[in-house]
Amino acid sequence: MGFLTPAFFAGLLALGLPVWLHLLQQHRSTPVPFASLMLFERRLQSSVKHRRLKYLLLFALRLLLLALLVLAFTHPYFERRASAGAAGKAVKVIAIDHSFSMRQGGRLDRAKQQALEAARSFAGGDRVEVISFGAGVQVEQNPVTDPAAVRAAIQGVRATDERSSFAELARALRATAQTLQVPVEAHVFSDMQKSSWPPNFADAQLGGGVRLIPHPVVEEREANFAVESVLAPARLYDPKKVRVQVTVAGYGTGPARRRVTLAAGGREIESKEVDLPANGRASVEFFALEASYGWNRAEARLSPADAFPDDDVLYFAVERTEPRKVLFVSEGRGSRAQLYFRTALESASDAAFAMEAMTAAQAAALPLKPYACVVLSDVGAMPAGLEENLRRYVEAGGALWVVLGRTALARDLVPVSGEQVRESRYSPREGERFRTVAALDTAHPAVRSAPRWEGVKFFQAVAVDPDGARVVARLSDEAPLLLERPVGEGRVLVFASPLDNIANDFPLHPSFVPFVVETARYLARMEESRASQQVGAYYEIRAAAGAGAAVEVRDPRGQRALSLTEAAEVRGITLAERGYYEIRRPSGFQELVAVNPDRQESDLDVLPAETLALWRNTGQDSAGASVGAAAQTRRVSLWWYALLAAFLLSLAEAWVGNRHLAVQEQRMKA
Amino acid sequence: MLQRFLDPATLASISGIDLVAKTVVDGFIAGLHRSPDFGFSQEFAEYRAYVPGDDLRHVDWNVFARTERCYLKRYHGETNTHVMVLLDASRSMAYASHRVSKLDYARYLAASLCYLASQQRDAAGLIVFDEAVTQYVAPSGRQGQLPRLLHALERAEPGPASRTDYLRPFHHFQQFIRRRGIVAVLSDFYAPPDELVKTIAPLRFHGNEVILFHLLDPRELEPDFREPVLLVDMENDSALEVTPEYARSEYPSKISAHLAALSEKARGVGLDYFLMSTGRPLDAGLREYLSVRQGQM
Repeated sequence: MGFLTPAFFAGLLALGLPVWLHLLQQHRSTPVPFASLMLFERRLQSSVKHRRLKYLLLFALRLLLLALLVLAFTHPYFERRASAGAAGKAVKVIAIDHSFSMRQGGRLDRAKQQALEAARSFAGGDRVEVISFGAGVQVEQNPVTDPAAVRAAIQGVRATDERSSFAELARALRATAQTLQVPVEAHVFSDMQKSSWPPNFADAQLGGGVRLIPHPVVEEREANFAVESVLAPARLYDPKKVRVQVTVAGYGTGPARRRVTLAAGGREIESKEVDLPANGRASVEFFALEASYGWNRAEARLSPADAFPDDDVLYFAVERTEPRKVLFVSEGRGSRAQLYFRTALESASDAAFAMEAMTAAQAAALPLKPYACVVLSDVGAMPAGLEENLRRYVEAGGALWVVLGRTALARDLVPVSGEQVRESRYSPREGERFRTVAALDTAHPAVRSAPRWEGVKFFQAVAVDPDGARVVARLSDEAPLLLERPVGEGRVLVFASPLDNIANDFPLHPSFVPFVVETARYLARMEESRASQQVGAYYEIRAAAGAGAAVEVRDPRGQRALSLTEAAEVRGITLAERGYYEIRRPSGFQELVAVNPDRQESDLDVLPAETLALWRNTGQDSAGASVGAAAQTRRVSLWWYALLAAFLLSLAEAWVGNRHLAVQEQRMKA
Repeated sequence: MLQRFLDPATLASISGIDLVAKTVVDGFIAGLHRSPDFGFSQEFAEYRAYVPGDDLRHVDWNVFARTERCYLKRYHGETNTHVMVLLDASRSMAYASHRVSKLDYARYLAASLCYLASQQRDAAGLIVFDEAVTQYVAPSGRQGQLPRLLHALERAEPGPASRTDYLRPFHHFQQFIRRRGIVAVLSDFYAPPDELVKTIAPLRFHGNEVILFHLLDPRELEPDFREPVLLVDMENDSALEVTPEYARSEYPSKISAHLAALSEKARGVGLDYFLMSTGRPLDAGLREYLSVRQGQM
């Protein structure tokens, strides 16, 4: 029997209250002179005593009620000893590390072999569960007593490209012990990587019901070289103007010279020697990347290969493409807005956009699929077919940037996105009556790189009703300035003031150029491209979840990663394997995503014996004891019962108290 | 208007018991709507023919002048009566739950009776008693009797160890009260009704009209305790713890039974019994006295 919060016993002082009420206060009698006591009888004193006896029941109930409340707050508990035989024998858990590092030198095979031997040593009636762990835990076999099923589950464990996490393993073991309510004896077969240990020791706590028995498949650290990272552009416009930086790392290695080879599309492009310091890293740069048009599977490879060749190569994807075309649609050629927009777009060195300008009438029947995005600048009267053309284009994954200007009031709704146009607010230049940007959502990619809009003066802006759209920027009168709304597979961005340096002075402001370039990048989905991703990363394949056109995803083995239903509905996928994922959108856009294992797996340093011993101590440590005879103590909390009893007592107290008062009232009436 | 001066609380604010008595009686008489010159012995009753031996002073010479016959003029109440006031001055009479104690109230009532008697030319006397007779003013209708009575009443205070004992003082009274008259006993009568009536009843045997003015405080009739109290007897200093429940439930029945028994036994032996709460005006007591006085005429 123990108490989790014994400090609450101080609440017993409250017992003095009923003592004072019932005993001290009741005993106090005021001497009052009276003419004669002839009509008062001596037996009255016993009547008072009898009445006090009635009070005593109420007094006892109140004392008990308070005591129980205090007891409930102290969280009493007792420990029930559940012997292995009585509460069920300990479940034996075979946990096999299936992380990327287990691919090195047949570690996984050794682990499985040791696991099979351990399984054979178990007694006949033991319940055995088989799990494999990496970044998460996968149950290979629920607890069974069938040795054949256990053996099959062990042999069925496959290596993955995940990183391993002892925190996840500990959490799973704790959950198993709590769920099954029996002791858990965990046999862990792993390379015991130091890098798998969580930053916070508490995350690896095993809990009282878990006994850990580690089975390391390696005893000491093995040297390993790896390509740690590649810095390369995701899109390539000029193969001669590119810079690829490859960083090579040695883990537990001495000084060494290694050759780094850059390849793309299956062709070797260039090789360079690099000198690595002892247990350090070095970088090498390449200034040309000859790749064919379209997506290229590129890689940086280290040679000669070491004992762990799987991390000697790092994949990345490069798309060689012509500059992306941006269609600028306005009511007339040669507008001021067009001039400022074109200048801003072409001033960015690596933007690689080619702008085409045409009138609304010309764009009405134009196929829009080749354009990365379309800018609709202050177009009032829409020619027949243009809006429908734009809508189809956006719903198929295209992007539209609507700039509202003086002619916006000609329509009730913003084209394609459908926000209601309420009014055009004009602030004359006289008297400094202009508006500024009051709120900016700097998390949005369009304004993330240039969030300083404080000095921009807006003299005229169109007020639109956001109606659920994401408001990226607001003016000082709370009117939305920049809105985004997903439409189908695509995006529509609405800017509520023209870009002509008349309605505002934004084009003269330093933030204008990065805003235009980043917005174009965002709309053209160029900001989403990274040369490579890590195993386990989440990749978004559509803007919003829900039924739509199917997105085809092929995994590194060339198989469909999604079922047909998933392809039409899911918003993203988890990149589970290293290699290249191909993503084909219904609009015709194609993406190649290179995926590599976490490079922490390349550090094959093992967990120190001291840390391992500490880890074991967080569980039910019984180094020399037999698990079969082990008894587990389970803490049974009693506060709930105390509270329930207090509740029942409060009902009884109310009943007795009411009865007492009722008697008093009757006497008074009499 | 003078009725308001009959309220005990108002009387308590008047200094001087003579003024109290005058206020009470004048107020009471004014309330009767009768002349202030009201007097029983001045009222004409009848004419009677003169017979030898009659006092010639009573011959109505005006009638003789007209008729040449002698007639005697007869009046009502030409005989005075004795009024003896017996005032209990034991310590229990000092009990007061408000401004006027029972003894104060008894003194006001006694003073008023004496004043009223003196107005009617009755011989008034006073006996103050507790365990024994502490003061005695012999009945007299002479000039200066009223101040003597009022002075004796002002000196009537409960002594340090005074307890009520009806046997000894009432035995003593019988030596003083020789002529028949009215005996007014003012007391709280804390004694067994049987014993009490047995003690007082001999006064009646001498032809006296005996009025028992039973004076009780309102709180003695209806105690109001909000918490258990330790009651201390004012006469014998004994103490008893009493709960509010008992005082509300059982005591009223006991006091009612006591009053009923006293009233019944008193009337049974021809004593007039009159219960007076010290919270009520005095006129009710005076009215009781006058009704008895009528019977003496």
